[in-house]
Amino acid sequence: MYQFPKDLYADVRIEECFECWMAIQNGEMVSDGIAEETGAFIRVFDGNMWYTSTTNDIAGIQAELDNLATLATPNPDILEHPMVKKLQVHQDTVLKFDGENCIKNVSRAQWKNLIDTYIEACVDEGISEINAWVVYDNASYKKKSFYSSKGAAIVQDMQECILSVNYGITVDGITTGAWKGFCKLDFENLKGHEAEVISERDRYLDYAHNAVQVEPGDYTCVFAPMATAIFTHESFGHKSEADFMLNDKTLQDEWVMGKKVGNEKISICDRGNMPNHGYIAYDDEGTIAGETWLMKDGVLTGRLHDAKSASTLSEELTGNSRAGGYGCAPLVRMTNTYMAPGPDDPEQIIAEVKDGIYVYEVYSGTGNATFTLNPGICYRIRDGKLCEPLRINVITGNVFQTLFDVDAVGTDFKLIDEGSCGKGGQSVNVSDGGPTIRVKKLTVN
Amino acid sequence: MREKYRRENRTSSVTYEENKLLSFHKESSVTSSFRVHKDGQVGIHYQVGELGDEEGFRRAEENLSIRPRSYPFELETGKRSRDMTERELTDKELMDTAAECMQYLLDKYPRFTFRADFDQTKTTNRWVNDKGMDYSNTDCSVNVSVGFKHVDSKDISDGSFGFSLRDFDKKVFFKMADDYLANYEKEVKLPEEIIIDTQYYGLLGCLSNQLNAENLALNISLLSGKIGEKVFSEDFTLWHDVSDKECWFNCFWDGDGCVTEGDKRLFIEKGVVLTGHSDKRNAEKYNVPHTGNASWSFADIPLDGWVNWRIERSEKTVKELLDGRYCVIPVRSHGGGFADNGDFAMPVQCALLSDGEKILGKLPPFTMSSNLFDMFGKDFIGVGCDNPIYNDKQILIRVKKGNIL
Repeated sequence: MYQFPKDLYADVRIEECFECWMAIQNGEMVSDGIAEETGAFIRVFDGNMWYTSTTNDIAGIQAELDNLATLATPNPDILEHPMVKKLQVHQDTVLKFDGENCIKNVSRAQWKNLIDTYIEACVDEGISEINAWVVYDNASYKKKSFYSSKGAAIVQDMQECILSVNYGITVDGITTGAWKGFCKLDFENLKGHEAEVISERDRYLDYAHNAVQVEPGDYTCVFAPMATAIFTHESFGHKSEADFMLNDKTLQDEWVMGKKVGNEKISICDRGNMPNHGYIAYDDEGTIAGETWLMKDGVLTGRLHDAKSASTLSEELTGNSRAGGYGCAPLVRMTNTYMAPGPDDPEQIIAEVKDGIYVYEVYSGTGNATFTLNPGICYRIRDGKLCEPLRINVITGNVFQTLFDVDAVGTDFKLIDEGSCGKGGQSVNVSDGGPTIRVKKLTVN
Repeated sequence: MREKYRRENRTSSVTYEENKLLSFHKESSVTSSFRVHKDGQVGIHYQVGELGDEEGFRRAEENLSIRPRSYPFELETGKRSRDMTERELTDKELMDTAAECMQYLLDKYPRFTFRADFDQTKTTNRWVNDKGMDYSNTDCSVNVSVGFKHVDSKDISDGSFGFSLRDFDKKVFFKMADDYLANYEKEVKLPEEIIIDTQYYGLLGCLSNQLNAENLALNISLLSGKIGEKVFSEDFTLWHDVSDKECWFNCFWDGDGCVTEGDKRLFIEKGVVLTGHSDKRNAEKYNVPHTGNASWSFADIPLDGWVNWRIERSEKTVKELLDGRYCVIPVRSHGGGFADNGDFAMPVQCALLSDGEKILGKLPPFTMSSNLFDMFGKDFIGVGCDNPIYNDKQILIRVKKGNIL
């Protein structure tokens, strides 16, 4: 398709993007738009460095490729470069969403009807504490084509549909932001969740009326599956991304394969080819997506790679090189990451806590050695029972200690298909999952 | 009536990873919004990449039928052009500058590894309409961000520093690197009184929500019912300001095409909340003052929320404001924030101690806590008239010390 420059490695990634959205706030349509764009990321590698370019001029890609090649130094041995040797070559077309379920086929009237249905069912003007609400949807479809000088030719697609119902619940002058959202892979699956929205709304109403500020300190914490999902992503997932330790002896020694890094009840996996929010068929270097067990029974068994990190650390590719859009270079990223269910009864996990905190949900977090979790609704546990709701700003822990402090892993399991992950100024879709777990000690503020 | 926004953006960037040159990147983009107004409605066509006016407006007119958006407001008029460009580097100059800065780090601080991005971005925004409006704004800067990790650290990253300059000066880079790294290995104790010295952009996000005119009107803001009241410090005065050099890549007009007098607007004066921020829609809907704070949208109608906050500076320097006390520079501080009730808690994973001019050593990680009303009220110390450490304006606030992490 393209005339790739001689004695250099090069690849071209073209992304055709479609997005539409609509929002109705307090009865007024405040947002309603559609956007389509196509762009390409072009890379040339000469064995020393990358020369890259972003363009929206698809007809001009060949010229751009030729121009980048003039900046690079030809290298007759480029195919012997360890990183280039690692790069896989596939010719494949995996279009899972371009048929009748493609969101591009959903009309504006259908989106409007969907929102109206949720407003009708979930907005109750009789609830005086709710003085603001917004229902919105957002959907995107992306088709990616990837071609490399080694012969790769891959076309794949992905899409997501989001519906979210949000409330402002004001009690005693304090407004609690409440929401329930759904992220699905097609439009039809956004329908029929009204009862879940109402249940969550009522939970937030109770929270707004009764939540008390937590007394800062160290607590035993039980995480609901929703919270474990983010905990898994932040506390351990980011440490499994190998690009942070390429030439760092301290970190390589710390994260050596076969080392016990957590309680034996913990096993964690990243799997890109699951039909979930972090789905990819191939990564953005053309590597087929697979399953990587990062931790098994508390022992470090794997990490996530792009071609550079895999070749530098002499490990195998895992299909985790992902870009946050056509304007971005790929980085090592998670896909669908989850802690596997364990042996413990979830109800018993709570019942065994004399004094602690139940973390029902976590909104976001960060993933350095001291990881952070920004929780939503939490409850105090006393004598094994859930008591009053708590307002908590942030939960922190140290990854090197906390994974050993997990002393119960539940038999239940839930995958959260709503997340996106930020790194290096880029954002990619991910899903995270896990069971109910208990951590002996975390710092709560 | 036809209207067109156009944004041209050019970026060149050099990236270093683990001390080594990783990539040189070029990007050039054109984004347009073609808009056709008729009978209080607008049809919009969003375009990335070049498209002729005839086809662009034809598609916008088509969307006036398919996806009409209500916009019952008069279009603006006015002609003005502002170019903030001071100097443009060639790609070779950018690469040479990056190499020289990196060499300085590697020679002087061999016990650290660095990831660094050096980019030059030039952006021109232009907005024209059939009523004669013709506004354009151009800005260009070199932006540097450096992440560092100490060789003995078991963390992914220990901290970062960065800045933007329209006329790049390597001496600023060298000084900032020395400020952050020279005393990094010297461990010092947390002072009893914790005064945070930080750039304030992140802290003002919560205030933006509370000052949103719609939130104020719906009684979902912590400041609802407090317009005209003194709720913050006598020393705290807050402007929306796109007039000066501290404004990066912001246009002087808002998403409704409105320009404020002197390119600024006062919102809090000596602790008294004067008004919320509004666009044309919210001003009309809630019968509140129109402040010209509509955000731009290339693919939709504008919404309230575009603000470039500036806290009025003190006449004193940061060191004078400290008056002999020490302050804490939170080098890596994330994961917390404001709760619904205005309470604030934030882990500070990496912090340095300063006397307001130079860094004295590295502090243990800890958690800080406060409250929106305390931060800009009794615990607000001020914004100095100088720019030590950050090469940017910075706020001094007393906070409570929470758990040691």
